[in-house]
Amino acid sequence: MKLGQAFKMALKSIGNNMGRSFLTMLGIIIGVASVMTIVSVMMAQNREIMKQFEAMGTNRLEVYAYLYNGSSVFDDLYDYCLYLNEYVQGVTPQGYLNATVTYGDKNSSSMEYTPQLYLGSDQYSAVNNFQIAQGRDLSKIDIDNYNNVCVMGARAARNFFDFIDPVGQEVRVNGIPFTVIGVYQEKDPNNDYSMDNMILFPYTAARALGQSVDMSQVYVKCRDSQSLKQAKAMIEGFLTDICGDPNDYTNQKGYFYTYSNDEYTDSLNEQSKAMSMVLGGIAAISLLVGGIGIMNIMLVTVTERTKEIGIRRAIGAQRKSIVAQFLIESGTICGIGGIFGILLGTVFTMLGGKLILHFDEILWPSVGITLGAVLFSVFLGILFGMYPAIKASGLQPVVALRAE
Amino acid sequence: MLIEIQDVYKIYGEGTEAEVRALDGVTLSIDRGEFVAVVGQSGSGKSTLMNILGCLDIPTRGAYRIDGQDVNDLTDAQLSHIRNKQVGFIFQSYNLIQSLTAYENVELPLIYQNVPLFRRRELVMDAMERVGVADRWKHHPSEMSGGQQQRVAIARAISTRPPIIMADEPTGALDSHTGKEVLHFLQELNREGSTVILITHDNAIAATARRVVRISDGKIFEDYEQEVDWL
Repeated sequence: MKLGQAFKMALKSIGNNMGRSFLTMLGIIIGVASVMTIVSVMMAQNREIMKQFEAMGTNRLEVYAYLYNGSSVFDDLYDYCLYLNEYVQGVTPQGYLNATVTYGDKNSSSMEYTPQLYLGSDQYSAVNNFQIAQGRDLSKIDIDNYNNVCVMGARAARNFFDFIDPVGQEVRVNGIPFTVIGVYQEKDPNNDYSMDNMILFPYTAARALGQSVDMSQVYVKCRDSQSLKQAKAMIEGFLTDICGDPNDYTNQKGYFYTYSNDEYTDSLNEQSKAMSMVLGGIAAISLLVGGIGIMNIMLVTVTERTKEIGIRRAIGAQRKSIVAQFLIESGTICGIGGIFGILLGTVFTMLGGKLILHFDEILWPSVGITLGAVLFSVFLGILFGMYPAIKASGLQPVVALRAE
Repeated sequence: MLIEIQDVYKIYGEGTEAEVRALDGVTLSIDRGEFVAVVGQSGSGKSTLMNILGCLDIPTRGAYRIDGQDVNDLTDAQLSHIRNKQVGFIFQSYNLIQSLTAYENVELPLIYQNVPLFRRRELVMDAMERVGVADRWKHHPSEMSGGQQQRVAIARAISTRPPIIMADEPTGALDSHTGKEVLHFLQELNREGSTVILITHDNAIAATARRVVRISDGKIFEDYEQEVDWL
């Protein structure tokens, strides 16, 4: 028999056994779609969490240090970090400004999501992973000259200016004019309480607002996790010299501690790995259940098909013609099921991205998982679709004919 | 000789206590153009004999030559070829494929012969017209009476114009009138030159054949020619 005929025969058989074909496809469709959706949404969720951490800044050391006599350690620490530049990329105080920012009729305190007002150095953006998108960043000169300027996060800029170019605009902070010199790139677009909803002022500018700045909190950005360890040890040594031993309660000079969220990120990573394994397990089970569904449908029809194979053999079909027909038949069913599974899984993944993760952009399914799920179910479908053909075509035709 | 079997055994469970000798040393030759009725009671081995003659089954022991070829030496492809081209089968239970229409059932052996579409259409409609079910070509077996299904099965058997027709109790599931028509048809095929082998338990049906082979307990005990009861 020619291959074209085998194709025609297989397609005819699929058409004549709509119910069976559909049930088989259903097993594949559900298996593929559920695995794709579960794994893709889960992976996106993990990615999102890691991205948030990365956006906040990895390899960042938070230092909290003060002297009981009230003088700031920041200038000394700043100089020391410059000295450590083999390990340290940037250093900034992390201060908070308590003020109201207005622009025209826009008022920060009456906004739905109030922007955070930060005080920092010219290295604030380097430490906190911001990148300048428009205008310019804070400079050392702004800090040294107590300039009344500010840089806005993308979301804060949108809230205040919409379509107006923010650069060069003047906002009023507690009534005092500040010039917007730049806007940072958006780094957290899917979150209403976004890291982008912020305005950064030079820490020295707080003086113009009549506020004293708490300079005891300092962020130090290190080059990598190795240099973070080095820098942490050295900074702790340095601060012990200035503030005294924080663990010594007779110490009258001052106090400090250091913290890096890398430890937290590590444990989060562990957790998300465990989570991946659990959900991967669920996905594998649903694939297996889909596979068993396919298997059941195929096995239920074995007897019927065995008889059919017996008849075909009796009227002169060669073994290989039978096997070819069944291979094409189950391959086609599984292929069609696979395609519908991919379509459905893609839709579900998109819906999951919107409804579960609240993503603004479209969430596409992971290619690797999709291929894996499709190959697995198609493999099962073809295997069990072929099973009666392989078994019955090996029998003497008369034995296959007797199947009832 | 068209068909020659010599000392053929078909033994199930050989050597065990439940050993069954379905064929117990059968020797038989059938010439081209003969009409042979193989007659025996149920369990006598007559169906086993037909299955072996039709290459649907293989003997446990013994030589079988069809058209001079030793069947024991043939590959699956060659055996399929014989079933396809040399033999047309008619079964008691019709053995039509339920999911295919009458036309598609009759067409099947021609597909396995790689007959081109137009020629196939001609041969199928010829065969169906001959047995009088051409108007039923679109119907599925479940939509036809037993007699019609058997006619479709006959059409399938003769669509390839095989030199040998093997019929295993072809009238067993039919009423006497329809049965008679089927037998008449077999006689007609025989007159046109086909070799017909008819398996039956019924002496009245065997009366339509020129030659009668009686079989019991897997052995042939009578083989004679008779006056034919032409239908």
